[in-house]
Amino acid sequence: MSADAFLQTDNLTKVYASGTVEVVALRAVTLSIERGAFVGVTGASGSGKSTLMNLLGGLDTPSSGHLCVDGRLISELDHDELALFRRSTVGMIFQSFNLVGSYTALENVALPLLFAGVAKRRRAERASELLQTVGLRERESHRPSELSGGEQQRVAIARALVNHPQMLLADEPTGNLDSKTSRQIVQFLADLNRQRGLTVVMISHEEALLREFANAVIHLHDGAVVRRERVR
Amino acid sequence: MRLSDCVEQAWANLWKKKLRTSLTTFGVVIAIGALVSMFAFGQGVQRNIREQFEALELFNYVIVSVADAGRPDPSEYDPDDAGHRPAEPDPNVVLSTPQAALDERFLEEVLRIKGVDAAFPEVRFPAQIRLGPKEQFTLVQVLSERVCRSMMPGLRAGAVYASNEPNELVISDSLLRRLGVKRPETAVRKTVEVRTLIFNFDLSSLLRMAFGRGDQRLPFSSEGHTFTICGVAERMGFGGPLPVKSDVFIPPGPAADMRKLMLTSIWDFFEPAGEPGTYSSVTVKVASVRDVDAVQKELQGRGLNTFALLDHLEEMKKGFIIMDTFLLAIGMIGITVASLGIVNTMVMSILERYREIGIMKAVGATDGDVQKIFLFESGVIGFLGGIFGLLLGWVVSGIINVVVNGLTARQGVSHIHYFSFPWWLCLGAVAFAVLVSLVAGIYPTIRAANVDPVVALRHD
Repeated sequence: MSADAFLQTDNLTKVYASGTVEVVALRAVTLSIERGAFVGVTGASGSGKSTLMNLLGGLDTPSSGHLCVDGRLISELDHDELALFRRSTVGMIFQSFNLVGSYTALENVALPLLFAGVAKRRRAERASELLQTVGLRERESHRPSELSGGEQQRVAIARALVNHPQMLLADEPTGNLDSKTSRQIVQFLADLNRQRGLTVVMISHEEALLREFANAVIHLHDGAVVRRERVR
Repeated sequence: MRLSDCVEQAWANLWKKKLRTSLTTFGVVIAIGALVSMFAFGQGVQRNIREQFEALELFNYVIVSVADAGRPDPSEYDPDDAGHRPAEPDPNVVLSTPQAALDERFLEEVLRIKGVDAAFPEVRFPAQIRLGPKEQFTLVQVLSERVCRSMMPGLRAGAVYASNEPNELVISDSLLRRLGVKRPETAVRKTVEVRTLIFNFDLSSLLRMAFGRGDQRLPFSSEGHTFTICGVAERMGFGGPLPVKSDVFIPPGPAADMRKLMLTSIWDFFEPAGEPGTYSSVTVKVASVRDVDAVQKELQGRGLNTFALLDHLEEMKKGFIIMDTFLLAIGMIGITVASLGIVNTMVMSILERYREIGIMKAVGATDGDVQKIFLFESGVIGFLGGIFGLLLGWVVSGIINVVVNGLTARQGVSHIHYFSFPWWLCLGAVAFAVLVSLVAGIYPTIRAANVDPVVALRHD
């Protein structure tokens, strides 16, 4: 592991078994991401982008290989330790926003704090601060169905930031947004990366967008890294 | 995750599905209500019996009878058991101790036994009671003023006769009702006729009995005695067969002057004639329950049979446990059905919130956090079901109590609380409802905790 690497994978492999058929979703991916980097991951559908994201975020466990984040061997953690890793180290943003429909924007943002055992008042204060940051302070009592796609994604970003994570993982965050809103969202992520030193890993089909904002772009094909390029 | 947050989350989630939550909770309410009512009834029966026995000091009494008497113990006689016959006395058995006769001397001697407070013979005879145009057949019991006073601490109206001499009697409220008097206070100072059965010794009766062919009438006639009602006793709703077991009580003075047949059951015909001046049984009152054993041993040492209700206390307790178990078993049917309702509701909830569970896990919820959320939802259903079930049981029991008391009041039975809600039953009902709900929530909870966040986040 290099001295500056915040995240490092070593032959990370994920195989899904469906009956007697085995599907290799990720093949021996070895990569290294520096602390404070903005890395884009791109590739065609089924190339293993989301599988890689799930493994990096501790939502899934690899079939073989190792994942190391901030010096911790994440691939060896058990269920509860992975949950703590997701709670304290990673903030995740999804294409479909993944907000709880019955919760208000404020409650959605405060959700990770609930599991961290933060008191109710403090949760509300912190969530309100984050909604202010993403420009949705006045919409905190609105439910997701009352918000636009861009607003929902900003709520999701606020939720991802609420626990002061060291890394943001964004899985196609602009997939359900128009081009103008997409740029605003990616710009916001880039600002967070620059201003707060957050390590950002963003998956996207839109290579041009990644080239515009990311430091490096990783190309996946058939579950394997086929190219990596430094763009700035 | 904080405990307060678990409760708040559970309540909020349940509140979002008001109808489903209400219906599931209602199932628990019905089950707990039924269980509580049945248990409260069992407790009420036990409490009433215990309190009445204690109030009347029934555990302080020892019934003494002659050891080889052929007649069955009146307290054990079952009129429905036609085949019941007492065991014939074994002629080979020789009593090691000479048997004491139950006579006046015995009554004096027994008072000298340590711990004995009073002793009185069981003297009862059949009589017809006539009040105005109505008449009823009953057994009249002779009780001294002192015993009568201690046996009947509460009277509906009037008082116990002041001495052993006046032609006064205490009548039960139930007999009074059968005689057409509904308000006990109006009966006091009224005159009643007590007609006793006497054997007819005139020649024509004897000849008719000896030679009569078609005429099967027995040589009996009756004799009237006038008494004044001095008090009206209330009829006991539970227990109370010992040692007071009549509807009319008269003092020994006038009883001694009355010609009467001492016939209380068909067994009296088969009983060998006793010595004049002896009694078939004597009731001994012991000052303290602690002395009952010693007094019994002393009397048994004199070759007498003894019966004390205290000896049957353990059997009564066993009976109560059996009754409670039976009621619990019936109640558990409802609880089982309600539990299945909870399981169904929770599984439905998990299926509906599958994606939400995935989101919770993605933002850092542990399996334990997810378990807590769903387990608390089950617990809240149980808690609400327990509280409202207890309330329902209490209300229904109250209504039943009013209705039953209304019916039994017509028979002269005093007001009784048939249901008892001790604090442990109230707390236990709620705790049991929560416990059952938590147990019902275990399977859905495990299922929720095992949700794979990757799969759940893809779920629509």
